[in-house]
Amino acid sequence: MPAAIGQDLVALLPRLRRFALVLCRSPSLADDLVQGACERALANAGSFTPGTRFDAWAFRILRNHWIDHLRRSRTEGMSEDVTVQTHIVGDAGEEPILNKLLLAEVQQIIDAMPSEQREVLLLVCVEDLAYREAAEVLGVPIGTVMSRLARARKRLVEMTAAA
Amino acid sequence: MAQLHFSDEILMAFADGELEELVAASVEQAMADDPAIARRVADFLRSRRLVRSAFPEETAADVPAALRAAVQARIDGFEPPAHQQEPATPPAKGRATFAGKPPLAMALAASVAGLAIATVSYLAGRQNPLPSQAAGPIALLEDPQVSRILSDSPSGREQDLPFGRVRVISTFRAADGTLCREFKLQASSGTSDAVACRNRGWRITFALAEATGPGAYVPSGGGDLMESYLQSAGAGEPLLDAAEIEALRKTEP
Repeated sequence: MPAAIGQDLVALLPRLRRFALVLCRSPSLADDLVQGACERALANAGSFTPGTRFDAWAFRILRNHWIDHLRRSRTEGMSEDVTVQTHIVGDAGEEPILNKLLLAEVQQIIDAMPSEQREVLLLVCVEDLAYREAAEVLGVPIGTVMSRLARARKRLVEMTAAA
Repeated sequence: MAQLHFSDEILMAFADGELEELVAASVEQAMADDPAIARRVADFLRSRRLVRSAFPEETAADVPAALRAAVQARIDGFEPPAHQQEPATPPAKGRATFAGKPPLAMALAASVAGLAIATVSYLAGRQNPLPSQAAGPIALLEDPQVSRILSDSPSGREQDLPFGRVRVISTFRAADGTLCREFKLQASSGTSDAVACRNRGWRITFALAEATGPGAYVPSGGGDLMESYLQSAGAGEPLLDAAEIEALRKTEP
């Protein structure tokens, strides 16, 4: 009998949802994704290796679920429209350096990035996954994680430096 | 004077505390010697903070009640409801910037921040804020003609290009199975020792370069650095002869 993961999943819900929003950009679709991913996680709880990062394991399941969804919807056509994220909540406690204007600008730049860059930014810079862990979540070589990440971060710095 | 060139990926990995010690030490030294490198590292530190701040803080309150209820219902279906379940992992607390990273990374970050400040005034008066990124031996490594040699040429053979001479040193697989090749490029602007890995084309993952100076080449200890890099990349045994040809011929997975 695999370890009970239910409570960990509940605790992880906000972050799963945030990742889902990065992937699909639609709140309602994100909720469906999270729910589906939780089901998969529960059904495959035995595949979680104790001692490894639970969040990374769940992120990977969520992302695979999203890829499957994409594969299916490619033939059906996307029904969801892209919703603009409206909340602007800074990381006030830790980094009080950003004013709202810069924050909004940074959000716009990230929003405009290809999803392969947005997801790696979130996993490494926000979720603090190591490159290797992010590579496992994304199913790509670590070198790919590094090149995407470096490109996205350089772009961000270049585009905000002029401000 | 031997000069090391660092790719964005390497400097980023340094900023993120992901570099193997020996390589990290060489980056540190380079930062002390070259404000432009310090600046690039500082930019990577800054970008991490920017990204972090730009993403909305996740809170339980943001999760719609319907979603929470639906997930809880699934959980109850899979796991008998119990009030005292042991969590599978201890909850992650304290989202420090370098959570889970060795304290060394934090110390480095602090020193980088200091350097970055010291760097600003220095850079202000310069025409080109990032001189080390200007075209040099490193830029040539990405040339399509070099890529072609990497795809075709067996290890040990030298080939001439309009801008220099390429010699593939070895072929191996990285820890994740990616096919990589170490090679040298000797150009008029300098000599580079580099590693490229195949990921939808050849991408440079590491490079050491010695600029051509008025004097003779000075050994930079680059060999050790390359060793150290290969070790941290989890490089496997070199693929030889038939195994190399086979690996090169196979299309990417």
